[in-house]
Amino acid sequence: MPASGPRQLGDDPSECVAIPNVIVAIEAILRQPRRVMFQLRQPGAGQLIVSMLFVSVVCSLIYGVVAGTFSGGTQLWAAPVKIAAGLMISALICLPSLYIFTCLGGSQARLVEVFGLLAGLLMLMTILLIGFAPVAWIFSQSTESLAWMGTLHLIFWFIATCFGLRFLETGFSHSNARSLAGFRTWVVIFLLVALQMTTALRPILGKSETFLPAEKKFFVAHWGDCLKGQGWDSKSESR
Amino acid sequence: MQAPSDKLNPREISVLLRGELEPITAWSGRWSTRRFALHVAVIVVGAGFYGAAMGWWRDPQQALYVAVKFPLIILLTTAGNALLNAMLAPLLGLNIPLRQSCSAILMSFTVTAAILGAFSPLMAFMVWNAPPMSPEALSGATYNFIKLAHVAVIAFAGTMGNARLFQLLARLGGSRAVARRVLFAWLAVNLFLGSQLSWILRPFIGSPSLPVEFFRATALHGNFYENVFHSLLQIFQQFD
Repeated sequence: MPASGPRQLGDDPSECVAIPNVIVAIEAILRQPRRVMFQLRQPGAGQLIVSMLFVSVVCSLIYGVVAGTFSGGTQLWAAPVKIAAGLMISALICLPSLYIFTCLGGSQARLVEVFGLLAGLLMLMTILLIGFAPVAWIFSQSTESLAWMGTLHLIFWFIATCFGLRFLETGFSHSNARSLAGFRTWVVIFLLVALQMTTALRPILGKSETFLPAEKKFFVAHWGDCLKGQGWDSKSESR
Repeated sequence: MQAPSDKLNPREISVLLRGELEPITAWSGRWSTRRFALHVAVIVVGAGFYGAAMGWWRDPQQALYVAVKFPLIILLTTAGNALLNAMLAPLLGLNIPLRQSCSAILMSFTVTAAILGAFSPLMAFMVWNAPPMSPEALSGATYNFIKLAHVAVIAFAGTMGNARLFQLLARLGGSRAVARRVLFAWLAVNLFLGSQLSWILRPFIGSPSLPVEFFRATALHGNFYENVFHSLLQIFQQFD
């Protein structure tokens, strides 16, 4: 009689093959995400997690350079630093609540596995952003509108995040969780934190005299200001 | 050989969070000083970090004070009501000893504190993004947003702690009706004492027009319920 529910991780022998380096890790998360999930449960998963975080940092730095070409100058190094740091800090801030929500949902996943799945989310997300980078670069060179570029980057980020979150959800569905309601609540929190990070670390696209903003704002208020016309046409506004 | 239950194992916290009734019921029935210390440590650290995030908006010194006061309220409420809760349980149909009722309540507060601790980086991030606390900020949307966020997180953490306590009580008493009676009785007395302790130990978020201090000068003048009563009177007097 066929088993009901999702197939157990490791049922397919190809999922049990170790992931020795970052290239294999990139290929595995795109083609065999279950292999990554299975390997995160094995002893010595730390090396895989470090590899995934390394890829995430490198990819976000590369995407940051592309984002920085919109304004050029100091933004060529400031944008990559802010995007990479912002992603890592967002993940770190949200990790404890992710673990708590998975436990409350009855998941048997250990903290290291949860951390690994989160690292997988970051890696998949940033790899996809690299895929969007040429498109973003073309638009960066052909438009002057800061608001348009900001919106475009947000759309790319949102699509990449959706794929990353799908990976994370699939990972949790294999950890005997009774409910995914807590996980879905966490997804909202993660999106809010990441969106707020874009405002906290502004300007990422535009130019500014200071590295970080002097004025504290919530992202909704900042976007409202941008849409009121403060940032639509000029590269010198902070976004 | 040492019994497994005597080992100090931080992974026990995830068992509490998942609400695995088999081991939790066994833990509540047998006293373990190490487990007690672990639960107290989680309360001190989890509620302490959350308190720090709460007080940080006013001043770093306020953060330190609230980091001490928040766990203190939980621990004093547990200790202050221990005897009363142990007496209420058998009177309402759940025949458990004092040690077991204390242990059950402490475990529910441990779940609450672990959740609060996990949310503390998020609350700290929110406060870091907020404009500095000023009289204008207190009258604007930021203050209300921060206040409501704290209410939502504390309510969620408290609800989850009590949901786990209810499951344990239902298991121990063998009846959901008995568990509900005992839980409501414990909640009532804990809320009654906890509210007054919070009143004495105010401020938490703080106010820009008042100094940063551990206790207000009027800490022991009046009580929480008296204040609520006066507020209600003032509201009704406006309609006269």
